Amino acid sequence: MKTDCAGTVVPLRNEQMADMLFAATQEVFTSMLGSEVERLSEPGAEQTASFDGVLSLIGLVGAVIGNGSFVCSAEAARDLSSRLLMTEFSQVDEEVLDAVGEITNMIVGGFKNLLEARVGRVQMSIPSVIFGKNIATRNSGANIAAAVRCGFPGGEIEVKIRLVAR
Amino acid sequence: MGFKPPNLLIVDDSTAIRKILVRVLNQTGLPLGQVLEAGDGKEALKQMEGNDVSLVLSDINMPNMDGLELLRTLRASAQWHDLPVVMITTEGSQTRVQEAVDLGATSYVRKPFSADLLRDKLASLLSQ
Repeated sequence: MKTDCAGTVVPLRNEQMADMLFAATQEVFTSMLGSEVERLSEPGAEQTASFDGVLSLIGLVGAVIGNGSFVCSAEAARDLSSRLLMTEFSQVDEEVLDAVGEITNMIVGGFKNLLEARVGRVQMSIPSVIFGKNIATRNSGANIAAAVRCGFPGGEIEVKIRLVAR
Repeated sequence: MGFKPPNLLIVDDSTAIRKILVRVLNQTGLPLGQVLEAGDGKEALKQMEGNDVSLVLSDINMPNMDGLELLRTLRASAQWHDLPVVMITTEGSQTRVQEAVDLGATSYVRKPFSADLLRDKLASLLSQ
């Protein structure tokens, strides 16, 4: 493992980690959601402006510390939940938030399994899912290690992994 | 005595995954008894009291009592020592799979899973 000038652990190049993250995302979409997913342009360095929609977060701890996040609009969250559960959802309710949490769990878990082969054991927290307006996020000391923005027939999603050295 | 369809227990903190597993179990076409659900290992142990459970499908990462602790508890019990337990989890590293196998997991399925493959695996386990 290498450390960059900011002291961040860089077990792989960021582009490689983004590829791993997209592979994990693609696997969840094809296996569980019955949908193709397309990789769009890379998201910005950090979410500077607030946004409306659904944010799901999972903590990572072990050989590295950080988190994985999943962001989408309310419409995309309802569409994803419908695909996962084969039920229509007219609003973002508990079931939709649970489904988005599980989708995040599978994507971040898939990425974590690939990462563990390189850096050693990493454990995941259970997901926390937030739905609202004007959501703003800030991460102290954690740099984005991997980020992908994807399109699917029901909208767009953005998945990010932030890591810091132990 | 006639055939008694098996009772099953699904243990996962995600209601979405529990619903998907119920759907997959129904797709096996095999006669099923009660399909019980629990959100963590502690709830699972409570559900098993007084219910003749024939197969457990359990996640690993859960609050209160995780799936490995549940498996350890079942294997240490005279009543549940030989009960088939399938771990269905995002944990896919070889170390974690080995840990579950060493604790006595009957089978291990990584999420995300193909519903068809899972259905075939569960059908095979249930027909035994």
